[in-house]
Amino acid sequence: MPASVLVVDDEPNIVLSLEFLMRQAGFDVRTARDGDAALAAIAQRPPDLVLLDLMIPGRDGYEICQAIRSDPACARTRIVMLTARSREVEREKGLALGADDYITKPFSTRDLVERVRQLLAARDG
Amino acid sequence: MCDSFSLRAMAEIDDQAWRKPERLHARPLWITLIAAGCLGLAVLFVIVMLALETPEVDGAGLAALSWSELIAAGVTGFLVALLVVALILRAQIVSPLRRLAAEARFVAEARSEHALSARAHPWLAPLPAALGRLGAALAQERDQGATAIAAATVRLEEQKRRLETILRDLSEGVLICTLDHRVLLYNQAALGLLHVAGELGLGRSLFNLIAREPVLHALERMLHAGPAPGDRSDVCALVCATADATRLLLGRLSLTREESGRATGYVLTIADATREVAELEARDRLLRQLGDGLRRPIANLHAAAETLAAFPEMEAARRTEFDGVIQRESAALVAGLEAFDRGARDLEGGHWPLADVLSLDVFRILAKRSADAGGPEITPVGLPRWLHVDSHSLVIALQRLSERIAIQAGARAVDIEAVAGEHATYLDFVWAGEPIGAAILDRWLGEALTGALGAATLGDVLQRHGSTIWSRATAPRRAVLRMPVSAAREASTSATPAPALPPRPEFYDFALLGAAMENADAALQAMTFVVFDTETTGLKPSEGDEIVSIGAVRVVNGRILTGETFSRLVNPGRAIPAGSIRFHGITDAMVADAPPASIALPQLRSFCEGAVLVAHNAAFDLTFLKMKEHESGVRFDMPVLDTLLISLFLHPDLGDHDLDAIAARVGVQITGRHTALGDAMATAAVFVRLLVLLQQRGITTLEGLMNASRMALDLRARARQF
Repeated sequence: MPASVLVVDDEPNIVLSLEFLMRQAGFDVRTARDGDAALAAIAQRPPDLVLLDLMIPGRDGYEICQAIRSDPACARTRIVMLTARSREVEREKGLALGADDYITKPFSTRDLVERVRQLLAARDG
Repeated sequence: MCDSFSLRAMAEIDDQAWRKPERLHARPLWITLIAAGCLGLAVLFVIVMLALETPEVDGAGLAALSWSELIAAGVTGFLVALLVVALILRAQIVSPLRRLAAEARFVAEARSEHALSARAHPWLAPLPAALGRLGAALAQERDQGATAIAAATVRLEEQKRRLETILRDLSEGVLICTLDHRVLLYNQAALGLLHVAGELGLGRSLFNLIAREPVLHALERMLHAGPAPGDRSDVCALVCATADATRLLLGRLSLTREESGRATGYVLTIADATREVAELEARDRLLRQLGDGLRRPIANLHAAAETLAAFPEMEAARRTEFDGVIQRESAALVAGLEAFDRGARDLEGGHWPLADVLSLDVFRILAKRSADAGGPEITPVGLPRWLHVDSHSLVIALQRLSERIAIQAGARAVDIEAVAGEHATYLDFVWAGEPIGAAILDRWLGEALTGALGAATLGDVLQRHGSTIWSRATAPRRAVLRMPVSAAREASTSATPAPALPPRPEFYDFALLGAAMENADAALQAMTFVVFDTETTGLKPSEGDEIVSIGAVRVVNGRILTGETFSRLVNPGRAIPAGSIRFHGITDAMVADAPPASIALPQLRSFCEGAVLVAHNAAFDLTFLKMKEHESGVRFDMPVLDTLLISLFLHPDLGDHDLDAIAARVGVQITGRHTALGDAMATAAVFVRLLVLLQQRGITTLEGLMNASRMALDLRARARQF
């Protein structure tokens, strides 16, 4: 069964690229435009990896991250923060709150796909 | 005031010095009168003789005197009478008057009260009293004047001292010059700004130090400014530079004037603008680069995208070319943005004034404010660190956070610690309970905050410090809320490194380690320790060296209680050798008023009550304490742990076991060594870390640790035999 990836971002332009990329990489992709939709999707079926933007309407990205980390059903879920917030303290905060990686925008699409593959492989291996 | 000396002096000079001037003027008059009197007497005598020598005229002897003879007799009689009157006057009036005049002059010039003698004719009676009152009034005026002058002088001195202090402490340089540009006065800051070593040299030309044109121009503007006096602006801002053109200065020039309004000179204050100007220029450059650097890629990208959209039926090969353009130009945009990020990071961020402050000071104020406001009990733990913050708004923010934490997590007591990290120093609130969710923290950030200048919310204060907050669990039922802040840029108040002195000799003494252990089974983590260190006059306790300083800090439940410390200078009762002063900086003058060991040690003993002692190379310090047992009446009989032995036990094969080496090994960052308290704190930080390592090795009780120490001692002793 292909790994499932949840893309959480409110900007359609980036979701377009991310969804396409992840599909091409062979993953099963769902998208969520805001915090509530993200939590609903997670509750419905815990994803294997979440691409999480921090500045989304409704709930703070960090909040979603903490929610995932405190949910026992998502124990194996990987979280990659993908955000325009580029300050060092923000990165520290993200990693401290349980993100597995923190990538700032703009990013290299090839590197992103590579990283997602690595994280999912490590999880399974 | 009348005193015997002045009276005697009066008497001595009475008939001499003071009289002489009068005598000169009076001489002709008296001589004339006396001569006239004598002449009169002589003429009278002659007439009487003549009258007696004409016996034939009997009976009518006297009547037979001719008119001329009568007139002559009358005149002589008159002259005689005149003589008599003159003599009487002289005795009764003139002499006393002269004496009074002399005395009055004496009072006027001798500046002292003096009772005027009153040997005068009753006609002159009012005069001495009047002169006496005059003299008294004069003396009183003089006294009042002297007192007023003394008071005014004191005030002036005080004002002068204040002005000197102001001048000295101003961060701006101040120079006062004459109109022909000679320096009359300057302050310390001016010396620094103008690169002057030593003295400035009063009277030297200002233009030896500062470029002339800007100053001359500013002066000209001020001296000739405006048609009416009211238009003259008093201060003129200017940009100038040091004479060697190395430093840019911002200056303000104002004229000094005398009462009439004429300019007599000017005051020039200067401040270093080099850094600010450089920073502004760097900012401008960065913004320019951003604009220029992005313009072309955006233009290319935009053109390609529009063209592709306008010609959907474009052939594939041509399309590929356009795709290539889009690819390359967007990569260029990414690169431009990254370059901008790097440039922005290099610029000193933020323009809100931040300053270096010690974390312990901030925490102490916070703890007090929290206690006063009925908030949670806040305990500072860990080593003090230097922070670069706006301490006022930070304290307000920390207080708000601690209040919210207390309510949200139900914690009545919260620890606060400054932890040194790679990029920043973290302010950690630690409490027993659950961490706080990001959503809740977000809400707190938006709350209004009162009292912090220019900051409306908690989030604003964090923004000012380039910071944010997050919370997570560090252990079951133990949570932390972390706020990164900037560490101070330079190592503040780092004393000149002491010359390398021979390390303390390693002392080993089983007896010292084998003290009564009631709580041998107690868990190390939960015990109370007092970590201490001493500074001494030398390394030989048995040869007369004494303690000069003691520092100690309590460690409870694995936390270093930075708020609970013991720090005393001790009078060693002997001179401190120069070599040891270089090491710890404690001079004879500093210990002169300090208590002797017999008083300080009992104080230390009560600080250590109920705790286990810890020190680095403990036997060394303990030997000093033991030697004073009899004198001070206290025994340090609690168990003692030695971080040196613990380190030997844990890492027997690694060479260095001095405190700095161990600290580096276990990852403890130490600043501020070579004071007793500083060393005690450093040892405490190392000890806390060593406890964790010991736990990993399975040693969790005091007994276990004592045994381990003994083992280490054995090994060491054996190794030294070889």
